[in-house]
Amino acid sequence: MRQANLHPSPARRTLAVTLAAGALTLAGCATKPPATDADATQDYEQTNDPLEPTNRFFYRVDDTLDRTTLKPLAEGYVYVVPTPVRTGVHNVLTNLTSPVLFADDVTQANPQHAGDTFMRFVINSTIGGVGMFDVAKGFGYPAHTTNFGITLALWGVPAGPFLYLPFVGPSSPRAVAGRGADTVLDPFTWVPRGYGLLTVNWARYGVGIVDERAAYLSDIDHVKASALDPYATFRSLYRQNTNSQVEAARHPAPTTPPSWETQPAH
Amino acid sequence: MRILLTRRTVLCLSAATCVLAFAGIGPAFAQASGADAFIKTFATDLVAIVNGPEPAAQKKAALGPVITRDVDVSGVARFCLGRFWATATPAQQAEYVKLFQQVLLNQISGHLGDYTGVSYVMTGDTPQGSNTLVGTTITRPNQPPINVQWVVGDVGGSPKVVDVIAEGTSMRITQRSDYASYLGQHGDRIDALIAALHRQLDNTAG
Repeated sequence: MRQANLHPSPARRTLAVTLAAGALTLAGCATKPPATDADATQDYEQTNDPLEPTNRFFYRVDDTLDRTTLKPLAEGYVYVVPTPVRTGVHNVLTNLTSPVLFADDVTQANPQHAGDTFMRFVINSTIGGVGMFDVAKGFGYPAHTTNFGITLALWGVPAGPFLYLPFVGPSSPRAVAGRGADTVLDPFTWVPRGYGLLTVNWARYGVGIVDERAAYLSDIDHVKASALDPYATFRSLYRQNTNSQVEAARHPAPTTPPSWETQPAH
Repeated sequence: MRILLTRRTVLCLSAATCVLAFAGIGPAFAQASGADAFIKTFATDLVAIVNGPEPAAQKKAALGPVITRDVDVSGVARFCLGRFWATATPAQQAEYVKLFQQVLLNQISGHLGDYTGVSYVMTGDTPQGSNTLVGTTITRPNQPPINVQWVVGDVGGSPKVVDVIAEGTSMRITQRSDYASYLGQHGDRIDALIAALHRQLDNTAG
């Protein structure tokens, strides 16, 4: 019993963190400008960042963690591991997300994407050497990305206020809900404990984070160097990027036959 | 004879149809292809400089005149300052535009300068209000291809680039929100922004 008190259970720890975050959230609300200042009010509404002080705090925490840990790790990864191996690792990780991606494609009512994802998973998992080589692309099934946050957007769920979350980065309540749904939809998270597969999952998350960070090394450096207020710039980029993804999902490109299919004579 | 006559009739008819078709879609077609041709020249010039063997500093110097020729720098600068443009004095406006031009050049050469072997393909254009969005896909070595749309507007009777949209993110909207946020954090003082731009240019000069 004493032991349990000394080492709080994970549930209790989560509760403590949530409470602390909640207190911080309440303390750190941005003040809305007076209604008389129309321009400032418009800016405030466009930014939709009522938790800005809290978000900025987490941005600074994340930035420090990134500079001291994640970025050097990603740079080391790029320096030590040759490009073809990194591409292979990236392909394996991407292939493992196929079941979730398929579910997202279906919930977005996009049969072409769902078909692409299905064929990609079958082809790349087999002749693509457990996903190491993206053979399916050459067969006319190109890669695409999406997530359940986009599905929610198509279902009419608004993004909600801007959030900057530690270890996650720019986000929104809708994106958080989408991330939760994607985790639940991922069959690899249904694995029961004690089969060694849990370790595989953790390794997959770890490598996934480094792989993703490595892909954005120069872009993130560029924003940090060129922006006067990097936080506001990341916020704007995130919002615009999400909106354009939602728009692209709303108006899917017309069906194009795979390149190997015989084209009808004109 | 009969066959020949028929063939001639068909030829005449198709020629007439062509003329009619062009007359009908004439202005729109001319506008779209004008923006296309303009971006083609601009992008070809940019790519030629970027892929050249010169060192980075020389490339940057060569990019300057191309940017001033084809980009509506003062219009973009004004847009990026948003509602604060009206509150700036003429002297502040002039200094800001001058600094903005250098910042823009730094950004473009920063984005492209590190690469050689850059290539692009045109992907068609769509009208957007009075502007035309010209689509391109830019390929850089060892990087995924990026979709870039060039927003071409009519500025004083000639086509100019008024915005660049990379993967759905607009350069001028991002820049505007950066400046607005910086000004908000510094008591809406234009002088603070000008000082920050000076510092930024000093940092990147080395």
